[in-house]
Amino acid sequence: MSWDKIGIEDKLLSWHEIMEAEEYVYTVGVAGEEFFNGLKHKKIIGGKCPKCGRIYVPARLYCEECFVKNDFVEVTTKPYIDTYTVVYKDDEGNKLEKPQVIALIRFEATHGGLLAYVEGEVNIGKEVEILEYKIPLIVRVK
Amino acid sequence: MKTNLYFRRVAVIGAGLTLFRRRMLETPQELAWEAVRKALDEAGLELKDIDCVVIGSAPDAFDGVHMKGEYLAHGSGGVRKMVSRVFVGGATGVMVPNTAWYHVASGLCEKVLAVAEEKMSPARPHPQSVFRYIWDPITEKPLNPNLIWIFAMEMHRYMYVNKITKEDIALVSVKNKKNALNNPYAQAAANITVDDVLKSEVLVWPVQLLDTSPVSDGAAAMVIVSEDVARRYTDTPVWIEGVGWTLDNTEWTGRELAYPRYLEHAARMAYKMAGIERPNKEIDVIEPYDPFDYKELHHIEGLMIARRGEAPKLLKEGVFDIDGDIPSSPSGGLLGVGNPIAAAGLMKTISIYWQLKGTAGRMQVKKPVHTGLAQAWGDLMQASTVIVMRN
Ligand SMILES: [Zn+2]
Repeated sequence: MSWDKIGIEDKLLSWHEIMEAEEYVYTVGVAGEEFFNGLKHKKIIGGKCPKCGRIYVPARLYCEECFVKNDFVEVTTKPYIDTYTVVYKDDEGNKLEKPQVIALIRFEATHGGLLAYVEGEVNIGKEVEILEYKIPLIVRVK
Repeated sequence: MKTNLYFRRVAVIGAGLTLFRRRMLETPQELAWEAVRKALDEAGLELKDIDCVVIGSAPDAFDGVHMKGEYLAHGSGGVRKMVSRVFVGGATGVMVPNTAWYHVASGLCEKVLAVAEEKMSPARPHPQSVFRYIWDPITEKPLNPNLIWIFAMEMHRYMYVNKITKEDIALVSVKNKKNALNNPYAQAAANITVDDVLKSEVLVWPVQLLDTSPVSDGAAAMVIVSEDVARRYTDTPVWIEGVGWTLDNTEWTGRELAYPRYLEHAARMAYKMAGIERPNKEIDVIEPYDPFDYKELHHIEGLMIARRGEAPKLLKEGVFDIDGDIPSSPSGGLLGVGNPIAAAGLMKTISIYWQLKGTAGRMQVKKPVHTGLAQAWGDLMQASTVIVMRN
């Protein structure tokens, strides 16, 4: 039998304390800079391996297979929905006014993907148009 | 401990470091990649040749990413390979090559990447704030301690028991920061005097600003292989001859703080394996863990290279200088090179590897060296890791 089954929190001898760092400031990194600067100009920037030709989206500094430094390239292949989900509650368990559709967007002939809010009639495999170049992307089903 | 094990010989054939700096522009994964790329290049291997990857990173909280081993895996070359992550606080950096050693020594792997990364810059208001996690939540946390507090108490106890002055201790900072002037990766190299240390800002008495190592980001990597592979790839392998690690009681308030008992046990384990009976006569060059200046002295005693309380005297006589009998922290140590926690310990191991290979450049010690030792220390002042190497 455990305390959470039989105990009542206020009746237990307990100590309240918070032990966390207050905040983090993350660096987007070398490849991240290229990628975010690309978004500002409505471009998707990927990292292309000079050895195997694989293109990573978002941009990656190195190829994880060949372990060499990637070149940065604009990705112009067709974006499409790889999979999607429909969210009914927020992260605190409150019911959303309107269910939110979130999709994994991939670009043809590349490796990786980006999350997006989707407008329009969502379906796996459908091509999308990028409405807003930000994190997350906002896309509309074509 | 009596060991009756059969194990294979293990060698180091390549290593790489990033710059150690505050607020590096690279992500943790990018830092790891850079160090690994250099290590593979020095070894003459490609990622496809590697069997497994050992990743060391101290608490997740530094980089601000949960499950940092998994997070670092693709930058460390671990994708679809056997990956282990080890973390014993500050002692992690030497636990990484120790762990890589037993992957190879056991016969499980032939070629291992040992990678350590730490990015101290992201946490706010200060990296110290991530140490809020480590205290006893009931008896200690209400005082809002930080690590410098307990190091100050340890330092004070060490000074009191052994009648050591602040001047004696400041000489470590002077030596290491000066050695770091020869290290191209160093962040805090400087020509300073004992007076500069004594006049620097008091953080938590008796710890002053120049008694401490800086906040750093950085990564380090090594290629660790079996004897057969080493013979094929290099004429100058450096052998890992002894490893040791121990954890003392987390109840630090119950220990005699003047002496690092945790380290003596780890050192005895490594010495026994390496067949070392008189460490002060048989070891040519050392990299003891020095996040604070007194810790280098404390650790030289725990390594039994000096008797209890005698490290400051030997230091003053020049024994630990770069041209002394037993050069200590010729890399510049954490005080001079910087302190991205796990990467700092691996940097020390790499420094010894380069010394024994004879490729330490301007850091190379004056005398010929045959046996070297690196050591790291951490957790709540109770974890210690030791590695002994020979050429
Ligand atoms: Zn590739």
